[in-house]
Amino acid sequence: MLPVVVVHGGAGHIPKERSDLSTSGVCSAVRSAYALLQGGGSSLDAVVEAVLLLENNPSFNAGCGSVLNMKGEVEMDALVMDGKTLSSGAVSAVRNVANPIQLARLVMDKTSHAFLTAEGASQFARSMGVPEVPQESLITEYSRMRWKKKLAPDANPVECQMGKMGTVGAVAVDTDGNVACATSTGGMLNKMEGRVGDTPCIGSGGYADNMSGAVSTTGHGEAIMKVTLARHILFHVEQGQSAEAASDLGLAHMKSRVGGLGGVVTVDPQGNWAARFSSRQMAWAAAQKDTLHYGLYTGEHFTQIIEDHRA
Amino acid sequence: MSAVLVVHGGAWAIPDEMAPASVDGVKAAARHGASVLKSGGSALDAVEAAVRALEDNPIFNAGHGATLNVDGEVELDAIIVDGRTLASGAVSCVTNIANPVSLARAVMEKTSHVMLTGKGANQFAESIGINTFPTDKLVTEYEKKEWEKHKKYIAGVMAHDTVGAVAVDCAGNVACATSTGGIRNKMVGRVGDSPVIGCGGYADNSSGAVSCTGHGESILKVTLARLVLSHVEQEKSVADASQLSLQYMSDRVQGAGGTIVVAPSGQWAATFTTERMAWAAATHKDLLAFI
Repeated sequence: MLPVVVVHGGAGHIPKERSDLSTSGVCSAVRSAYALLQGGGSSLDAVVEAVLLLENNPSFNAGCGSVLNMKGEVEMDALVMDGKTLSSGAVSAVRNVANPIQLARLVMDKTSHAFLTAEGASQFARSMGVPEVPQESLITEYSRMRWKKKLAPDANPVECQMGKMGTVGAVAVDTDGNVACATSTGGMLNKMEGRVGDTPCIGSGGYADNMSGAVSTTGHGEAIMKVTLARHILFHVEQGQSAEAASDLGLAHMKSRVGGLGGVVTVDPQGNWAARFSSRQMAWAAAQKDTLHYGLYTGEHFTQIIEDHRA
Repeated sequence: MSAVLVVHGGAWAIPDEMAPASVDGVKAAARHGASVLKSGGSALDAVEAAVRALEDNPIFNAGHGATLNVDGEVELDAIIVDGRTLASGAVSCVTNIANPVSLARAVMEKTSHVMLTGKGANQFAESIGINTFPTDKLVTEYEKKEWEKHKKYIAGVMAHDTVGAVAVDCAGNVACATSTGGIRNKMVGRVGDSPVIGCGGYADNSSGAVSCTGHGESILKVTLARLVLSHVEQEKSVADASQLSLQYMSDRVQGAGGTIVVAPSGQWAATFTTERMAWAAATHKDLLAFI
């Protein structure tokens, strides 16, 4: 059953012309993470690798390709958590770095803190020798176009929500039974400057505990925070629910209690996994027992054998 | 249905010379919050009022009297949660605001967001007419001296006197609020548990309201506030839920702290695994204060 890795590229409404990019992106990220796990790598390394690839992929709302805040600038959030020790690292509203997930990991590994924000996070990045990248390198034509569209006085709010690329994330369990999660995002389109969503908030954007499992979330950030979705799902797992049932219960609770939609990827230490969403779509992919699983629309579940490229 | 308010002024090894002022401080804040409840005010109004009183009191590490980061600056965090709707507001690393808890409430009520940080949070404050104070107006001589002494952050050697309040009002609604200046000599931009929902505080009419204090990084690891309420959801008493959760935090991540909890029924508890915690509780019968 082990190892397993599950990846998501955001829950929302992805227009048809971009859906292929989302699907190939998550499949590619999961393949790399799985190869790492098969080579004996840790779940922590695997989730960071998957998210890093998605941050570098301009089709996703994380790192390069991040949505813009109301000033037209990029502010990013990320979280990583180690289920063995419950150690975590998070950054919020960080600018001018290509890989917020890497910075989050540095917070976890190199400081005695768990969460750094804004200018302080940038200062830390500089002290760690993380290259400062120009904002332009993170902004795509697509994200600029959507920002302009939403700003226009006659903007159609429904149309603007279409093509909402989401937060990216990953969960994994390695051959030692250790679980980990990672989540990264550019946040909400046209958000207020300094707005922090669920992503870097432990228990909301993600949570990982060897005793129950790991979760990474995506969707309406404020709603996810109100119900601390990741932690909520793992409470259900602790009470005996399966990864899938727990995920569905968490999403249903969020919908009924605060009217929010979203998606999650969940894994337990035995290798049971789920990719569930209450939104219209969620690009997701999973790898287990040399098989690639993926989907986009509700009910979709495609599989493909993963060729063993190890010489 | 009788209203209850519990406040804390931080869980840590409060030195003898600070003890009387700490007890007076929590008592005064509890009295203030209780008067809001007595006149029919909501739990949300009561916790905000109580925490404002604690922020204004320079003996506590929140608002006035906040501890300094490694650069000698003040960075403040706060959260407020309405158990009825789960509406929440939080600010992290906002500078030089006298009452971060009120700014957090404004985030909740005047924006479509839950959390604002840094410069963005300060800009929002300015946009709604909340003044900033120069650092020396908020910082005490004591904190300046302590900052000088401990120029470098040393884990395990610090005060965690975050402040907080929980309440249940006559309508059975619960709310929580937590506010802090963080850890002395922390890295610039360090965010602890206080403004992180489910960690520094949580409130839900279906189970209760919690506010936490103690070693922030440990509280984050176990999502302490949410953990306490998960035990209450499993039918544990608020006292048992608190004890189990703090014990777990100690065993699993070697962290110490304190919690105050109130249930919609009016049951309440104040529990800590640090040497001391300044706290006070106001029920319709009496006003208790301990350290």
